[in-house]
Amino acid sequence: MGEVELSCLAYVKMYLHACLFPRCSVNGLLLSSSPAGGAVCVTDCVPLLHTHLPLAPITQLALTQVDVWCAQTQQRIVGYYQANACVSDSSPTPCALKIADKIAEQCNNAVLLMIDGGKMSPDYRVPPIVMYERKDTRWTLKDKHTIMLRQWEETRDIASQLLDSGDHSLLVDFDSHLDDITRDWTNQKLNAKIAELASPANASSIALPPGGGTVSIVTFTWSSSTARGRQQNINSLSINHILLENSPEWRNNG
Amino acid sequence: GHYCLDINVLIIVFTEMRDKLRKWREDNHRNSEQIVDVGEELINEHASKLGDDIWIIYEQVMIAALDCSRDDLAWTCLQELKKQFPGSQRVKRLAGMRLEALEKYEDASKQYDSILQDDPTNTAARKRKISILKAQGKSAEAIRELNEYLEQFVGDQEAWHELSELYINEHDYGKAAFCLEELMMTNPHNHLYCEQYAEVKYTQGGLENLELSRKYFAQALKLNNGNMRALFGLYMSASHIAASPKVNATVKKANVKYAAWATNQINRAYQVTKTNQLPVEELLLRSS
Repeated sequence: MGEVELSCLAYVKMYLHACLFPRCSVNGLLLSSSPAGGAVCVTDCVPLLHTHLPLAPITQLALTQVDVWCAQTQQRIVGYYQANACVSDSSPTPCALKIADKIAEQCNNAVLLMIDGGKMSPDYRVPPIVMYERKDTRWTLKDKHTIMLRQWEETRDIASQLLDSGDHSLLVDFDSHLDDITRDWTNQKLNAKIAELASPANASSIALPPGGGTVSIVTFTWSSSTARGRQQNINSLSINHILLENSPEWRNNG
Repeated sequence: GHYCLDINVLIIVFTEMRDKLRKWREDNHRNSEQIVDVGEELINEHASKLGDDIWIIYEQVMIAALDCSRDDLAWTCLQELKKQFPGSQRVKRLAGMRLEALEKYEDASKQYDSILQDDPTNTAARKRKISILKAQGKSAEAIRELNEYLEQFVGDQEAWHELSELYINEHDYGKAAFCLEELMMTNPHNHLYCEQYAEVKYTQGGLENLELSRKYFAQALKLNNGNMRALFGLYMSASHIAASPKVNATVKKANVKYAAWATNQINRAYQVTKTNQLPVEELLLRSS
């Protein structure tokens, strides 16, 4: 029942990950650079996959690699995020629950975060996320009042800016890294860009462990308004091509 | 003089754009944002130069426009195609796709049904109907329809692959493996199918499946030694087999060798790049 704080850096990268692969389910890990105990501060995230989320090998590989990297950089894995390809359903899938369970084995106030694709329209006023925590053995919806996002409007604007400038394509997830191992899944370049865009007042909440900086915490309560009218995602409508067939040339009789 | 140069530049730009669109068509790329960028300009500025190519470009741009929520552009393309090919089934299907994009699934379905009434063998319409089920999250139905489709059109590679993806999402790994086996049979040189099959086998777990997965990761590597997923997969599957209490000494020894070879290859690959270089030995074998 603890409090969870989500940093600008973590939120922006997670959000951009969902935007970068709009027709896929995507997932990733939530990290913290603060010590265990007390509120969970999600200070960073590592985007993982955009293909075959339920399959084991690459997930295991990624979990292990991130684990090792965390040990080297004084971070811990404290949670998991996922955005479903099918925007009408943002509930955790079996694979999400499974990975979150694994994380909870090592981190007892781990969080499971689902990005709600249906609420990602450009003029959204609330963070399109739903958070779960582990109570007994089940993942239950977290009380909104215990979730905090510092400087939400600024965070949202940074995400929009990066989308508009096309810089979201800088984001590397683990899948992309495997396609081309010269690409850095720790996203140092993108992190720098995000830090650049953040105002000086916010800088401390991005780069450094909490305890430094004097940014006031704004508790954000989600409004209960749901997206009205046509759901406009940042990306596109859910036209599911199964296959674009090789189109033969047009003739006069079509 | 100066004027001549401008025209040449324009012509080059135009042909580049047209060739880009063609390449994306041929590769079946779903880079819809780019297609809209290039295609919209081509249509607006250079329509007269395109000749008969224009119709296939309208189709390509329309589909990309739907993908990017550009209904205005999609509508324009659709109107041009309707004018040129009145009564065409192909255009009807495009109109159906637009309805899908607007989430008017019932109307879209009716559109496809009318195509199928005239032409029951129209595979495009059938696939669109299955796409609708997928969009609505009706996986079980989509799977059922796709199975029926494949009974009739057993050679449709993309359909088999689509079915394997649907099964993976439903965690029905046995059936996903079956689809991938079909694909490997008909595409023995495709390293991606081998590697995906290996991943499914690994996920199913158990010693027998692990050994199969190792074999197919190795096969994928033979077909494409740059496939990093296959390389890591080989390392992981071989390591797990070697660590299993159920294998005899010979098998263990062999798998230790495979794992060592894979480790070597991985380290070499990362030596070159220097990004995300982590000691491979630290990988895996944390209990999974």
